[in-house]
Amino acid sequence: MSEMANTDPEGIDGVRMTWNVWPRTKVEASKCVIPLAASISVIRHHPDIPTLPYTPLRCKTCSAILNSFSRVDFTAKIWICPFCFLRNHFPPHYSLISETNLPAELYPQYTTVQYTLSDPNVNPNNPMNAAPAPSASPVFLFVLDTCMIEEEFGFVKLALKRAIGLLPDNALVGFVSFGTQARVHELGFSDMSKVYVFRGSKEISKDQIMEQLGIGVSGRRAPTGYQQKGMQNGFPNTGVARFLLPASECEYTLNSLLDELQTDQWPVAPGNRASRCTGVALSVAAGLLGACLPGTGARIIALVGGPCTEGLGTIVSKDLSDPVRSHKDLDKDAAPYFKKAVKFYDNLAKQLVSQGHVLDLFASALDQVGIAEMKVAVERTGGLVVLSESFGHSVFKDSFKHIFEDGEQSLGLCFNGMLEINCSKDIKVQGIIGPCTSMEKKGPNVADTVVGEGNTTAWKMCGLDKSTCLTVLFDLSSSERSNTPGTVNPQLYIQFLTSYQNPEGHTLLRVTTVTRRWIDSAVSSEELVQGFDQETAAVVMARITSLKMETEEGFDATRWLDRNLIRLCSKFGDYRKDDPSSFALNPCFSLFPQFMFNLRRSQFVQVFNNSPDETAYFRMLLNRENIANAAVMIQPSLISYSFNSLPQPALLDVASIAADRILLLDSYFSLVVFHGMTIAQWRNMGYQNQPEHQAFAQLLQAPQDDAQMIIRDRFPIPRMVVCDQHGSQARFLLAKLNPSATYNNAHDMAAGSDVIFTDDVSLQVFFEHLQRLAVQS
Amino acid sequence: MAAPVPPGAPRQQPPPPDYNPNYQQNPNSLSDNLQNLSLNRPPLMPNSAPRPSPFLPPPFPSSAPSPPLSRPGPPPPGAFPRPSLPPSGSPPPTLPPNGGPARPTGPPFSQPSPFVSRPPSAGNGVVMGPSSGAPSHGSLAPRLGAHPSPIASSTTPSSVPPSVSTGGLVSNGPPAPPFLGGPRFPPSGSAPQQPLMGPLTIGGARVPPQAPSMRPLMGSSGISAQQRPPFSAAHQGTPSSSAPLQGMPSFSAPPQAMSPPVGFPFGQQMQNQPVAPTPIPGSAQPPTMFGMPPPPPLPNQTTAISPVVGQTGGSLAGSSKIDPNQIPRPVPGSSVILHDTRQGNQANPPPPATSDYIVRDTGNCSPRYMRCTINQIPCTVDLLTTSGMQLALLVQPLALPHPSEEPIQLVDFGESGPVRCSRCKGYINPFMKFIDQGRRFICNLCGFTDETPRDYHCNLGPDGRRRDADERPELCRGTVEFVATKEYMVRDPMPAVYFFLIDVSMNAIQTGATAAACSSINQVIADLPEGPRTMVGIATFDSTIHFYNLKRALQQPLMLIVPDILDVYTPLQTDVIVPLSECRQHLEVLLESIPSMFQNSRTAESAFGAAIKAVFLAMKSTGGKLLVFQSVLPSVGIGALSAREAEGRSNISAGEKEAHKLLQPADKTLKELAIEFAEFQVCVDVFITTQTYVDIASISVIPKTTGGQVYYYYPFSALSDPAKLYNDLRWNVTRPQGFEAVMRVRCSQGIQVQQYHGNFCKRIPTDVDLPGIDCDKTIMVTLKHDDKLQDGTECAFQCALLYTTVYGQRRIRVTTLSLPCTNNLSNLFRMADLDTQFVCFLKQAANEIPSTPPLNLREQVTNFCINILLSYRKFCATVSSSGQLILPEALKLLPLYTLALIKSTGLRIDGRVDDRSFWITYVSSVSTPSAIPLVHPRMIAIHDLDTQEGNESLIPHSIPLSSDHVSDDGIFLLENGQEGLMYIGSSVDSNILQQLFGISSVDEIRTQQYDNPLSKKLNDVTNEIRRRRCSYLRLKLCKKGDPSGLSFFSCLIEDKVPTGGLSYVEFLVHVHRQIQMKMSS
Repeated sequence: MSEMANTDPEGIDGVRMTWNVWPRTKVEASKCVIPLAASISVIRHHPDIPTLPYTPLRCKTCSAILNSFSRVDFTAKIWICPFCFLRNHFPPHYSLISETNLPAELYPQYTTVQYTLSDPNVNPNNPMNAAPAPSASPVFLFVLDTCMIEEEFGFVKLALKRAIGLLPDNALVGFVSFGTQARVHELGFSDMSKVYVFRGSKEISKDQIMEQLGIGVSGRRAPTGYQQKGMQNGFPNTGVARFLLPASECEYTLNSLLDELQTDQWPVAPGNRASRCTGVALSVAAGLLGACLPGTGARIIALVGGPCTEGLGTIVSKDLSDPVRSHKDLDKDAAPYFKKAVKFYDNLAKQLVSQGHVLDLFASALDQVGIAEMKVAVERTGGLVVLSESFGHSVFKDSFKHIFEDGEQSLGLCFNGMLEINCSKDIKVQGIIGPCTSMEKKGPNVADTVVGEGNTTAWKMCGLDKSTCLTVLFDLSSSERSNTPGTVNPQLYIQFLTSYQNPEGHTLLRVTTVTRRWIDSAVSSEELVQGFDQETAAVVMARITSLKMETEEGFDATRWLDRNLIRLCSKFGDYRKDDPSSFALNPCFSLFPQFMFNLRRSQFVQVFNNSPDETAYFRMLLNRENIANAAVMIQPSLISYSFNSLPQPALLDVASIAADRILLLDSYFSLVVFHGMTIAQWRNMGYQNQPEHQAFAQLLQAPQDDAQMIIRDRFPIPRMVVCDQHGSQARFLLAKLNPSATYNNAHDMAAGSDVIFTDDVSLQVFFEHLQRLAVQS
Repeated sequence: MAAPVPPGAPRQQPPPPDYNPNYQQNPNSLSDNLQNLSLNRPPLMPNSAPRPSPFLPPPFPSSAPSPPLSRPGPPPPGAFPRPSLPPSGSPPPTLPPNGGPARPTGPPFSQPSPFVSRPPSAGNGVVMGPSSGAPSHGSLAPRLGAHPSPIASSTTPSSVPPSVSTGGLVSNGPPAPPFLGGPRFPPSGSAPQQPLMGPLTIGGARVPPQAPSMRPLMGSSGISAQQRPPFSAAHQGTPSSSAPLQGMPSFSAPPQAMSPPVGFPFGQQMQNQPVAPTPIPGSAQPPTMFGMPPPPPLPNQTTAISPVVGQTGGSLAGSSKIDPNQIPRPVPGSSVILHDTRQGNQANPPPPATSDYIVRDTGNCSPRYMRCTINQIPCTVDLLTTSGMQLALLVQPLALPHPSEEPIQLVDFGESGPVRCSRCKGYINPFMKFIDQGRRFICNLCGFTDETPRDYHCNLGPDGRRRDADERPELCRGTVEFVATKEYMVRDPMPAVYFFLIDVSMNAIQTGATAAACSSINQVIADLPEGPRTMVGIATFDSTIHFYNLKRALQQPLMLIVPDILDVYTPLQTDVIVPLSECRQHLEVLLESIPSMFQNSRTAESAFGAAIKAVFLAMKSTGGKLLVFQSVLPSVGIGALSAREAEGRSNISAGEKEAHKLLQPADKTLKELAIEFAEFQVCVDVFITTQTYVDIASISVIPKTTGGQVYYYYPFSALSDPAKLYNDLRWNVTRPQGFEAVMRVRCSQGIQVQQYHGNFCKRIPTDVDLPGIDCDKTIMVTLKHDDKLQDGTECAFQCALLYTTVYGQRRIRVTTLSLPCTNNLSNLFRMADLDTQFVCFLKQAANEIPSTPPLNLREQVTNFCINILLSYRKFCATVSSSGQLILPEALKLLPLYTLALIKSTGLRIDGRVDDRSFWITYVSSVSTPSAIPLVHPRMIAIHDLDTQEGNESLIPHSIPLSSDHVSDDGIFLLENGQEGLMYIGSSVDSNILQQLFGISSVDEIRTQQYDNPLSKKLNDVTNEIRRRRCSYLRLKLCKKGDPSGLSFFSCLIEDKVPTGGLSYVEFLVHVHRQIQMKMSS
């Protein structure tokens, strides 16, 4: 994997597919076991992507955009759309086009180009890209939980103040705090601190919120109202000036407000949880933004320190003897609040999506806070999520800071994204797994079966950033393709159109057109095999598995993965029937079983070691990260440092542990620096501080530096664990290693190594079984 | 504590705890308060009233009757007497006699004083009239300085300040005592006094005033008794003489002197007063005789029985005319009356409620706390029915005592609590009869024989009384206070919580109402009870509700808005209501900034109902007082109201028929809310500062149910009303009061309580719940027979009020009244208490207004009067003069009051709906001494204040409410306790104008105090009235020819009203005819 990381498998397009060669028929496709899917990094930065200052040409019928795969008749000034084969005339301003004078979008290497949309009406088919005026400033509405102990509250206030200091001067800032009740702070009121208090226990509609905040008049429009013009000339109502102020104007107010802000003053009965109305606070925040700035990119940044126990979105009763629901409770349907809360957040998600606003969730608590329920709202709006144990923990602190920082590492937060997919006939889109929402735009390319956000060829991404990645699942038309032009056209085309508003407020449209080859798998299995991307396939399988676990009742993930793996091996392995020893896999597949092995052991499948909140958190990140990162989540990378050699990848196996090695494990959510016994002893004796042992100091430092490199690029910031062999923290490493050495076979192991106390099967055992089953007839 | 102190031992300590903490520390403190307020305490009033106006000018037939104005008028800036203390201090010296201390404080404090030993003042020598006059002058001086303002009604607020600064004395303060009553009247017993008067009058001119006046109230009867042999059964007989009294010139002395010119209608009986004199002070001409139309309507009754109204006419010219001068009018007694509640083991009938009296509690409670409509109880229901009168009690459990009265004693029975009857739970009182060597006692209420608790046992003396009876207040006083034990608490006594809720809607801001409220509150903060138990909260509202977190730790208050006005809640559990000591600074800052903060508000809506509900939720855990300042019609949120008045007007046909419906609450929402408030001990007072219709009928339900009160400032003027608002608010929080109270009245067997009326909440039939109770609140208790009573026995009434003081002590105030039973109808008439009788009737009538068409109600009112007189005529009067209208002496003013009631704001149809609603609300809790002037205002001449020397009372004698007595070259002040109308005739001497108002012609009127004797005197008078009424008169200037003049004349109830209201004389004729008709039928 590390090899892969070094190259750029996504290229300029940011697209990776499970199969890079597509079988012709649906039947053939299903035989391939691994579904046809593409992972797209929708707005990933790439230096080679040209930005074109003009508006794109669209095909008159299918509205696909002119691209480098279009055939052009230079004399007739006509281009043929590769999707529908319609012949389009170039407009007059393209009249100078010739074979030597091509517009950038026709250059063969520019399969991805970016257009600057100056006029929102350019794309009349896209109701979502009527972006606000370019001058629009980013909007941040902070929603702060006040039910926490003083210490935590101090941390979170500090983090907030720092964040506010980092905001650009023109960013609009609003503030909502909540506990037993939700309070909207009117920052524009100069006489004294003024807050609107909403009861936590009462459901309140958006209209009521607007009316009660006194910003009702212009808020009456339909949810899609922001399509209308009129937003350009400033904000339509006074709510903006009262509740949302430019950072430069309200920084002082906010700071003093935070200084005086107290933890929730409502009494908490002994043996009870604090009363916390997270749901109402979020819906009030959504209502406020909806009234003030519909259609403008805005983020609700929720900082939550515990479970919602009051009103809408409650996830657990106040009684502390009632534990927060576990996976077991969910399985047994013993979580009385769960469905209702999910329904509430589902509606909230709909509202936010229609307003074009994002919900970011920063949860810091030892217990669960309800991410499992809130997941839907965060994921559908493309929000960020960070889960940590404390607001004082670096996972929260640094991640939170990261959002507001400019520069190289900035997340490049964008708003109002919208993805459209055009594809060749016979290709159907089942849906997308990832941070987006279906816009229910039907078309000929919509598949009958739906996976994830489907039933559409257009998706809304209220919030997206440069690393946002979506998984598109394809299907093939089931009809026998008799008279299609497929025979004449061996290539298939897929075009991804992503429009969005960048942090500077400009609206951009990125057009990525990819082509792949059709092959008749019956004829050439070899080509098919060569086109397999096992890393992508593993990630896609993980995402599908997660989705199924969440949506299908009684879904047995392990069994389903095993069955698919066996089918895959049966189809693509080389073996003699019923002879396991004869089994061999093409190198293109060779890593895949190991991915599956680790996936089966991962937190995505073995959820019972985690709380539903953690699981939800892991899955959200799995779904939005690129393939390389997602693969690390499934199968961590392990690097070994020793005196004898350069840092090198090590087997993810307990056998890699040695007394004189340092191991660096990257499981994405955490980074573990693991010192072998000897190294730890040396270090404890302080050798690294002695000049003659400078090499040792360097050895100690190397994994730390590498870890920092990884951390720098990552959001959320991973948890950093530094531990020694046989130390208690070593479990973070051992849990991820292949248990090739357990107490059962400890006597076989070399000295200095380690054993894992588990009954889990090791990779070797897994393979043996796999071979046996794959070759069964 | 129990151990050491024998049960029942009275507490000795003087200051003890007791009673109203308010006063505790400094006896004067109370007084101070009052002074400042410029309120006068009513109690004193009684007498005072009388004094001043000894002379009623000759009667005039007048035409325009008009009820007194009940609503508050615009007013004067007030004198804020903050400084009061100082004044009081100083005054004493000045005031030689008692007056000193007492006075200042006078009224108000009188209460406190009791405890304290106010007596000192008394000590001065004058027994009775401590307050009385002597001092007056001296005292005056200081006062004058103090408030200038009072007088000037119009004065701008600015004037006020000055007054304050002067400090001194607030005029209100020390009122001059009326006469020096003390000296004058020998302190005879209470009852006797009247008699005294009689003689006096007769004899010397000296006491001018009262003599004549007496009649009405006390006087007559008294007089008659003494002087003459008792006349027939009726006893008093002073005949109608009453009428006569008046005539005196304004100057005091003369009155009696009067020559009896013209008619004395009543000839014979009259002996005593030949009635006066014609001379009328300036204004009126000699009495014109009024012709009575029909001949002899009112013949004089010769019979001793009662005076008749005079038929003056009869005698007079025989012409069948009634001499307006001869008809009965209230004649104030000028001196303080000393009253022992029992004498010779007999209940002593109390002096008139409106007189100035000092009570010595000798077994029965002071009439201030409880008085009965009839001072003897009819043995059977038939007898009562025959009399046409009603049997009811007026209970004012925390009434302000006179400063010279002995304070109420506090008794601590220790852990066992007060001794009570084990069957009816009646409290130990002087009428419980101990038997069997003191081992047992018989309950005077239910007749049950109880065991005496062992540690309360005491042997009996030869007289059958316990030997320790005189040392134990509960065995020798009609009113005592017990320390409540845990048994009487469902929770710890609540802290004193004051929550101010201010309307900040656009209208309130723009009219200055918000600013006035904030500044008043800001000043009043200092007057709230000191101590850690005093909590304060503040909130404002328009279409949303704004709370303020006043926690000290915050740099500035935090505004918390509750926007949901359909389903409200409190925004904080704590910190909205905080101890006063911790939030003074924040409060000041906040109150100063509120008016400007909302300066640009464009919110016209007002969510009154939602706001009080939200505040209630915040106060729920403690209870307390909620003071609401409301300026517009509540238009949104819970309990929103509509402008029904306008709707009614536009739909005339429905409007006419259903007009009285506008006086009913619009819906039940507020009522339900109010009941909930009461349950959690939240008492709501509403200050309505408005210029439009606000539907008081609906709003008033809240204060009415929670033991609160409505204050009404209409039309609100930012110039003149803030002073009154401040004074009202100050009195509201400083007057003696209690929280979370429960009251029950128990009666002896044979009588039971029929119903309670007043401002309270009733959840169970026997008790009334009073989230708040104060010295001004009166509860009417109607009684009914459930058995026959034994002639010669006594029937007792006991009112027990369990309450928490502002300092958090739980107390039980027990007030016991024992009255003889009688089978004799004429005794009933003789012992009838006019004021009480009338006030009960007034309250009942007010109660009926919203549900009965006005015309029917007027008829009822008239019939009530007629029936009583008819009964008297039928059964008690001698047969002789069938042609005469005969009035029982005790009730001879009944026709006049009845007429006044008919013409009062509440019963008028042409008035504003809100005015009427306010009147109804006001009446429901008003005390007897304040009720009378409300209906029958007092008018005095002020243009000749200078020349009225010789009158020892500060306040000049009152003039009959007839336009005949109002001259164009005079200036008159007419006041009803709420507002004062100052009428300036069109041809007043410009010199006087210059002196009083600094202007030379009527056209440029403004009031202010100028430095000259006349002006000062006017100031003094105004302040004296305020002080005595415990109410800051809203002064309004009236000029002939404009609407203000009309409103003045509409208060002259003896006049005939063009629209059909009868003049007093006509009314008498009408009554007489009706009686004759009924007699003959």
